Amino acid sequence: MASAYGARVRAVLWIALVAGLVFVGLQFVRPTLTNPPVTAELQAPPEVRAVLRQSCYNCHSNETKLPWFDQVVPAYWLVNKDVKEARAHLNFSEIGKLPAAQQRGALFEAVNMIQMGAMPLPSYLRVHPGAAVSAENLKVLRDYLMPPTPAGATPAADTSAADAQYKGWITASGAPLKVQAEFNGVEFLPDYKNWKAISSTDRPDNHTMREILGNDVAIKAIAEHHINPWPDGTAFAKVAWAQQPDGKGAVQTGAFIQVELMIRDSRKYASTKGWGWGRWRGMDLKPYGKNADFTNECIGCHEPVRQNDYVYTMPLGGQQ
Amino acid sequence: MRVRLMLLAPGVILLCGVVGCTKTNPRVVTTLNTGAMLGSELPSNPLQNRVITSWIDKNAGTMSTLYGNDTAVQYARTGAQSGYPAGSALSVVTWTQQEDPRWFGGNIPAAAKSVEYVTIAPDQHFTYQRYEGSPLKQVDEEAGVAPNERTAYLLAQRAAVMP
Ligand code: HEC
Ligand code: HEC
Repeated sequence: MASAYGARVRAVLWIALVAGLVFVGLQFVRPTLTNPPVTAELQAPPEVRAVLRQSCYNCHSNETKLPWFDQVVPAYWLVNKDVKEARAHLNFSEIGKLPAAQQRGALFEAVNMIQMGAMPLPSYLRVHPGAAVSAENLKVLRDYLMPPTPAGATPAADTSAADAQYKGWITASGAPLKVQAEFNGVEFLPDYKNWKAISSTDRPDNHTMREILGNDVAIKAIAEHHINPWPDGTAFAKVAWAQQPDGKGAVQTGAFIQVELMIRDSRKYASTKGWGWGRWRGMDLKPYGKNADFTNECIGCHEPVRQNDYVYTMPLGGQQ
Repeated sequence: MRVRLMLLAPGVILLCGVVGCTKTNPRVVTTLNTGAMLGSELPSNPLQNRVITSWIDKNAGTMSTLYGNDTAVQYARTGAQSGYPAGSALSVVTWTQQEDPRWFGGNIPAAAKSVEYVTIAPDQHFTYQRYEGSPLKQVDEEAGVAPNERTAYLLAQRAAVMP
């Protein structure tokens, strides 16, 4: 009895010892994570940088400071991977070399990611609650990007380019263009302009306005409230124009910029989240991108709404 | 204690990494924009027609979309004749704006402020109707040969370019 008990204790101790040794041994399996020099930090007021420093710099900068519990394998492996990936996407220690507009664009995206709960990574926040962006800190970022606008109309836009574009289009009177398929094989759907409007967007930050259109399958899905997932055959178009201020406070639809399509086919497009993505730019509707990798851009930015079947738009009710 | 914590922290990371303990952010819950719905008091539903163009009034903080029936859209996009032909029916919905909860920097429709209808009859007679309020109620109805100022403005809007 006593000896059997002793043997069991010994066995448990041995297992614990081996596990302990493996654990210690694994600590030496460490991919390196260095802090390269800060070459061009984000150009923004100190209070803006302070917010990002507190919540984001551990992953999105060359000033990573890991607390002790992140240094322990396997946590270290995960954090290491996150930091490398995060830096590759967005690095506040190097972004300062980009044009100011691009830096601002990155901050707009940062605010979106924070508001939608996508950043800091939720898995990271559970272990580092101090990295959460407080309401006050979020306001610092928002106020910097969108200061309360002073009243007074924007001066009237030069309409000559838009006028010429309109004239060319109206005289062509709907003669069909020959449009190339996207690099991923998604075909252009010229009938998009006859679909129904499901929403519209005003983007004062980048001076564009958009109509979001849906085909009959989409409209039926909205009427039946079957919008997550959207049924196969659903198609959306997002058409973007330049904002054309008239100098009196109104903004007209200016020059056509591009049309984007999302076409639902859960099998055919399984590798791109169930959607076929395409963007055609300019009056000659030139397919966007250099190769099929352009879809990573689309999916990456639609990622925060993945639980919403990758669709941003909240369709207007009452379509039927 | 220290050792327990030391094991717990990586353990939690690992577990959540594998299981994915996520809760849905209210901003991305699947939903229709019900606040911008038009209600059922209207003579017809503008959303069933096709888009001619849209505009934004920065001072009023509103956004409008102009819709047309087949006759109106055909005219607006080809501009062969000079003036909307008989049988054209146009409608305009003007929405107040709200910040897009899913995209900082964007504004999307909130409650409808007004809905307007214009029709063109064979003898170039026009009708104009305007609905306002919540729920939307008719506040103006006019008909005649010479379009009133608002009708003339609406008829003068050129189509948004859609190649
Ligand atoms: C634990 C590490 C971590 C932290 C902390 C973190 N991020 Fe990220 N972030 C990532 C990773 C990994 C990616 C790339 C993969 C992805 O999008 O999930 C990323 C991607 C992004 C992107 C997309 C960039 C692009 O162009 O694709 C933005 C924007 C972003 N993060 C903003 C932030 C902001 C703002 C904060 C702080 C409030 C923050 N992140 C904190 C790890 C992190
Ligand atoms: C920088 C972020 C971003 C990128 C990159 C992006 N989108 Fe979007 N997309 C949005 C947002 C935000 C909306 C919501 C509508 C709006 O803001 O006008 C949207 C809406 C859409 C819609 C309407 C349906 C919906 O989801 O609401 C389509 C179609 C679409 N995008 C296609 C594309 C395609 C195709 C690409 C890649 C070529 C792409 N998008 C890249 C942000 C992005």
